[in-house]
Amino acid sequence: MAPYANLPLSPAELSYLYSSLAQDPPIRPDGRSATQFRPLIAESNILPSANGSARICFIDGTEAVVGVKAEVEQTHENHLVAQNDTRDGERTGRPDPSSAGSWFEISIEIPGLRDDDALPVFLAAMLTEALLGDGELTLKLRINNRFHWRLYIDVLLLSQPLSYPLPLLSLTTHLSLLSTRLPALISEGDEDPLFSDDWEASTFLYTQPNSNAAGKLHQSKPPITLLVISAGENIIFDPSRDELAVAEAVVAISIRQNLLGHMEVVALRTIDAPSRLTASGVPRSLDATTGTNASVSNADAQALREEDEGQSVWRPPRGGINRAKLSQMMATATMENGIGQEVMGGLAGVQGS
Amino acid sequence: MTSLKRSYASSANPTTTLSSKTYIRTLKSGRVQKITREVYLRQDIPCSSKLCATCQNIEPPGFRSKKLPAILSATPSGTKQYPQGHYLVPDTNAFLTAMDLFEQEGVFQDVIVLQTVLEEVKNRSLPLYHRLIALTKNDGKRFYVFFNEFRLETYIQREAGETINDRNDRAVRKACAWYQQHLQSATQARGSVRCPAVVMLTDDRDNLRKAKTDGIEGADIQSYVSGLPDADRLLDMVASGREQRVQGSQKAELFYPEYLSMSAMLTGVKSGALHQGIFNVSPYNYLEGTVHVPAFERALIIQGRENSNRAVSGDIVVVEVLPKDQWKAPSSKVLEEEDLNKNDNAENEEEEGSAEGVVTEQERKALQDDVKRAHVKNAADKPQPTAKVVGVIKRNWRQYVGHVDRDSVRSSSKQSRVQQTVFLIPMDKRVPKIRVRSRQAAELLGKRVLVTIDGWDRESRYPVGHFVRSLGELETKGAETEALLLEWDVQYRPFPKTVLDCLPPEGHDWKVPASLDDPGWSNRRDLRDLLVCSIDPPGCVDIDDALHARKLPNGNFEIGVHIADVSHFVKSGNAMDQEAALRGTTVYLVDKRIDMLPMLLGTDLCSLKPYVERFAFSVIWEVDTNANIVRSDFTKSVIRSREAFSYERAQLRIDDKNEQDDLTQGMRYLMMLSKKLRAKRMAAGALNLASPEVRVEAESESSDAMDVKTKQILDTNQLVEEFMLLANISVASKIYSAFPQTALLRRHASPPKQNFEELANQLKVCKNMELRSDSSKAVADSLDTCVDPKEPFFNTLVRILATRCMTSAEYFSSGTISESEFRHYGLATEIYTHFTSPIRRYCDLQAHRQLAASIDYEPLHPNLQSRAKIEAVCKNLNVRHRNAQMAGRASVEYYVGQALKGRVVEEEAFVMRVFANGIVVFVPRFGIEGLVRLKDFLDIKPQADSSDSREPEATLDTADYVLEVKGVDGGKARKVMLFDKVVVRIRDEVEESTGKRKVKLELL
Repeated sequence: MAPYANLPLSPAELSYLYSSLAQDPPIRPDGRSATQFRPLIAESNILPSANGSARICFIDGTEAVVGVKAEVEQTHENHLVAQNDTRDGERTGRPDPSSAGSWFEISIEIPGLRDDDALPVFLAAMLTEALLGDGELTLKLRINNRFHWRLYIDVLLLSQPLSYPLPLLSLTTHLSLLSTRLPALISEGDEDPLFSDDWEASTFLYTQPNSNAAGKLHQSKPPITLLVISAGENIIFDPSRDELAVAEAVVAISIRQNLLGHMEVVALRTIDAPSRLTASGVPRSLDATTGTNASVSNADAQALREEDEGQSVWRPPRGGINRAKLSQMMATATMENGIGQEVMGGLAGVQGS
Repeated sequence: MTSLKRSYASSANPTTTLSSKTYIRTLKSGRVQKITREVYLRQDIPCSSKLCATCQNIEPPGFRSKKLPAILSATPSGTKQYPQGHYLVPDTNAFLTAMDLFEQEGVFQDVIVLQTVLEEVKNRSLPLYHRLIALTKNDGKRFYVFFNEFRLETYIQREAGETINDRNDRAVRKACAWYQQHLQSATQARGSVRCPAVVMLTDDRDNLRKAKTDGIEGADIQSYVSGLPDADRLLDMVASGREQRVQGSQKAELFYPEYLSMSAMLTGVKSGALHQGIFNVSPYNYLEGTVHVPAFERALIIQGRENSNRAVSGDIVVVEVLPKDQWKAPSSKVLEEEDLNKNDNAENEEEEGSAEGVVTEQERKALQDDVKRAHVKNAADKPQPTAKVVGVIKRNWRQYVGHVDRDSVRSSSKQSRVQQTVFLIPMDKRVPKIRVRSRQAAELLGKRVLVTIDGWDRESRYPVGHFVRSLGELETKGAETEALLLEWDVQYRPFPKTVLDCLPPEGHDWKVPASLDDPGWSNRRDLRDLLVCSIDPPGCVDIDDALHARKLPNGNFEIGVHIADVSHFVKSGNAMDQEAALRGTTVYLVDKRIDMLPMLLGTDLCSLKPYVERFAFSVIWEVDTNANIVRSDFTKSVIRSREAFSYERAQLRIDDKNEQDDLTQGMRYLMMLSKKLRAKRMAAGALNLASPEVRVEAESESSDAMDVKTKQILDTNQLVEEFMLLANISVASKIYSAFPQTALLRRHASPPKQNFEELANQLKVCKNMELRSDSSKAVADSLDTCVDPKEPFFNTLVRILATRCMTSAEYFSSGTISESEFRHYGLATEIYTHFTSPIRRYCDLQAHRQLAASIDYEPLHPNLQSRAKIEAVCKNLNVRHRNAQMAGRASVEYYVGQALKGRVVEEEAFVMRVFANGIVVFVPRFGIEGLVRLKDFLDIKPQADSSDSREPEATLDTADYVLEVKGVDGGKARKVMLFDKVVVRIRDEVEESTGKRKVKLELL
């Protein structure tokens, strides 16, 4: 079991936490508003021999490093969807999105876990999904009809996974992709690619803001995945470890900025909330230590707990999340000047050294 | 958000001694890597000027804690422009274009070679880099390599968007500025007024302009050299820059198609659409070349200038196969550039160009004839795939020896110092004429000169080059000898001091140590009692091998082959060894020997001279009476040769019944056994090949060639040969078993079948003889049947031709090839190496070392354990070996020509090849091969007048190899068939245009 899941909180503490989060407005243990991000420390271009890299350190002490390396690879014929040969006679290959997943590879290393453990595999799948959902990355990786870049995104969590590490890893990946540069192509057409030996001439995978500041067009940005929880009627972004422990539902929303500068959702997943694993409280009437009602049958005890519905003691949340709540989460994340833009804007300000 | 870490990449102006640089490297496999290198900068790299006291103090001590002395003079020479004296800082292009100039004695001194420049030169041209390194090692030249990329003050980072060239230019300027300032403070510290200028030498205008704004002295080569004495001669040595070449011909039409880009070529070659190979020009037809590519069995033909697209023989090119309707049969005509394009004007490219394009009218006509015939003609020579050159991967230009075309010189008055463009005709017929601009053209007429090709642009019909130096008058012995040594890249300079330092200090007084306790005697067998003798050509001084034989009590024989123990004197890896490895072999010219090892070793200390004790490496066998080996043994030894025979004297001694001493008896045993060995070898299918060998007998004093004789082969020649072969084979299997990966062996690949096809067909058609080529045995047997009872020489001729069909033998490292490929085809043995001539061949020396290690005499040097190093050695040896043979042949050819000087001889000759416009004949008496043109067929003309240069009409029947020539002016017709015996008149002729003497053959 992942370390973040097993919190030594008593049912009473859990109950207290939950009820304060469920209030309107919610009261979070660290005093943040529902959509406020915790401060973080970030830097990019920290690995000299990688094509792009970044390091992010969250305030809770979790820290991750991501390195992106690119290699030239030959494109197999079936990766390309030949476009209507008959019309113009010229074959223009486009990457077939279904098979282009193999054009990049994300591997996640978390201390204490094997690379085939469920957590790293699931996290890698989610990050891959977000990158693929964007569809643009594979276009950027195409060199010509015969060759493409293959990206190796190596994610390394430096600290123990004290809280669910998805947002950290996603933000670090985002930042490293922003700083990723590919050697400048000097060959033409479908020749075997030749590249300029000048690193300074290399081009950014995702164009930098200043390069087309004059045009109204915004540059697209790699996706980020945000963690959102619901507690009662509230939706809360960037949950801390404690907050996760009482969340009713945990949703990972991947958003990206498209060419028009708008936020859009590219992937969505619910995550098994750690709160379901917490121990439920025992109603006073059933407490053996107080000795009031020592002999209650099992079935009765069950019924009593159900009736209580978590009103008086802590009961792990059950059930899913309704559609209205989901769409509210998505709307909040992608809102103009909302949290999505705030986070991306913040990361864009990180100076690539 | 805050950043915690110091940024990694450093800023543009490093203040600490740690910096890094980043670049992208593309590997051969297509992988692209970002490389980051850390750079540790220092402040103790000296400026090496004698003016500067501080640098001499800060310099870290080197080997044996000695400090290197400062190189640059305190009082460098001045010029008009820099009267206070100056140090030169040339940029990369200065070295690339004017290396010949820098090499001139006493012209350039006190030169600072920046590391940036040195590295760039290395990337651009390895040969030039080696020459530059040689210059920096030359004490008198005072060239100093300054490691500016490692000195804190002169190190610069590449800026964003800066090309690497701009960055390097900036580095050069930065270093100049530093030197300037550094020298100023140094002279101030000394209290002297005179501070030498630091002059940057570059032809880059932009660079000069920037230097000016930075306050750095700069000059371009042209103007700098103009300020020196003897500027005319020096300026000729500067390669003509591209700007100069193009100058004034902007409107010039582009003669040649553009080359493909490098990436397009590589893609094409990878995908199989294009092919890569070495461009070879036919020695008979300068417009026809072949490229052998791995994809096809036969070489692709490249016809015409346009298709060969500026490729020069030897270049590595990429070709594209032409469509089938353009396929042609190989040309059956002899074309020589000199004959066709006599009237080209070197000066005026534009006019001539617009009129004729790349291919002159004559050339086009000559080619047309070919095509016509190819269309008419039949099965015998089917059209073969042709190709065109689309790009050049690597130029293999070297320095070429040639002479100035007299017709291209406008004003031949020696006084006029006008710069004019002249043609230089290279000695190598396969190389096109080279256009050269010179002010001393008139002076160079009639001289052998050395030139370099600088480039070949699309708008120029011929390559452009520059003079390097003059070798001397045509036909003087010195000039011609040097010319052919240069042509074949034979290293003929005297041995440098470092090499001579490796010789034993006793010199000629060195003796085998008397005391058996001496370390030289350890593990060495004392064989001084054996009756050893050597048999060599008369007058041989470098005696590699000696032999002995004696009867053993059990009826078997003991045979010993004793080889000079050169490896005792030449230790692996020292300067002498490196020099020997570079030279690869001793080169024998008619009147000169260019040694692989210094004279002291070759002709004295190692040479197994008679009557003195010498170290040897002995192979001793016990053989039964049928020459089967019972036991073999290898040992280092000491021998004392009893006698040094010449082949003839040995033969006489063996034949003389009166001689009954043990030595003679031993030689008779050897003779008897050698005949048995030979019979066995022949039965196994060894080939008895022939090459035209003649000996020039030179009168000793003047060494003007007097007479030419074909070499005689005696039984004693074969005696020595048999035992040397036996020793080589024994040693080869021994070292291969000891070092399966790195044994240095020699192999002779079986020739591909199609090589023999043509010759077999010719023999069948003309002589009704059969040449089978399934195996070496079949070849050997069928060659024996190719006998014309009336013509004893015919068989030799066939053998000469058969030899040319074969591949050449090569050295290799045993780990590179599978064991089944080790076979030596010609000798019909499974394994072979060279062991018996360590004085004159480097391979043998290596084999000695490997053998010594395999018998635990001494440990194997690491150089001989690395496969890569052995492979590199093999590659060089193969080239050197071939070049040495070629140089030797060229020397004989020259002397034969000299022997014929002023004489008119009529000799028998055999037709070797027929062309549509001439025949190639071989003259056995002189061993020369020459072309007889149709116009030199004297008997078809009523008056045998060779000055009549009309071309008679002739038809060539390529199926029957018959050339029918119609008579001129009612003269009688003549039919010449391949292999016919004819009589030719040989005389020498001085060519009008060049003043060059040629052997001329006329058919009688």
